[in-house]
Amino acid sequence: MVDNINQQRRSVLKGAISASTLALVAASGLLLPQRLLAHWPSDAFNAETVEDALLALLGQAEIADDAALQFKVGSPPSYAVNGASVPIEIRSGLAKIERIAVLVDKNPFPLALSLEMTPAMKLPFKSMIKIAEDSEVIAVMRVNGKLYKTSRFVEVDIGGCA
Amino acid sequence: MGLVKKDRIRAKLKSGETTIRVLLAHPMHTGRGEDDAGNLIDAEFIQDIRCWRNDEEVLTIKCGTATATNPYFSFQLIDGEQGDQITIRWVDNLGAKGTAETTVK
Repeated sequence: MVDNINQQRRSVLKGAISASTLALVAASGLLLPQRLLAHWPSDAFNAETVEDALLALLGQAEIADDAALQFKVGSPPSYAVNGASVPIEIRSGLAKIERIAVLVDKNPFPLALSLEMTPAMKLPFKSMIKIAEDSEVIAVMRVNGKLYKTSRFVEVDIGGCA
Repeated sequence: MGLVKKDRIRAKLKSGETTIRVLLAHPMHTGRGEDDAGNLIDAEFIQDIRCWRNDEEVLTIKCGTATATNPYFSFQLIDGEQGDQITIRWVDNLGAKGTAETTVK
């Protein structure tokens, strides 16, 4: 009888220990893949307006609307047949660019790309993005605490945010 | 079937600048698209791409869902020599990872 109770006690203890270990591991975040990506700025990427996304990513700064940032969207410019892959190209004569962001106004989540530059890197930068419908596409770069912003309106034949 | 699913990378030295072109093989599902049966496809997209030249980190690209399927990037690095090792690593939102390496030609 005593043996039997002891046996039960053991298994209860064992269960409790493994449950608490699991809870600890889960709490420490080792099981969550997000943990690895803690540096991904989810606030900025999940923002639903351009303003929120910019604020979350680049912070508050004076915006200088400037020709220092050359920006091309679509090919031919400002037109895209297929919104699922629209070429973009960013050029600038400025040095020491800290960050560049590309946003699409009408997309469900406007922020498309964010580049963190080092001095070794040089523009032009080219890539392809998805654009849901005819929309303003905005490029913002942060240089020396100042933001430079340029936008282009792009017509899209087939929306590409599926 | 066409292309083999594979990350591609090219690096070329021209008049003192290294031009790097990267084409990653990734479906980049936004979480809003539907498959043939009309079911939503779960979000699966690259979030973070890093580029190294030799041991120096030169660029970090953070992507949202609005980066096109099979993401393509092209950019330049100042200076560089033939034989430099260029490495690209990416991580997607599900934790999948990939690496692409090449030497500058």
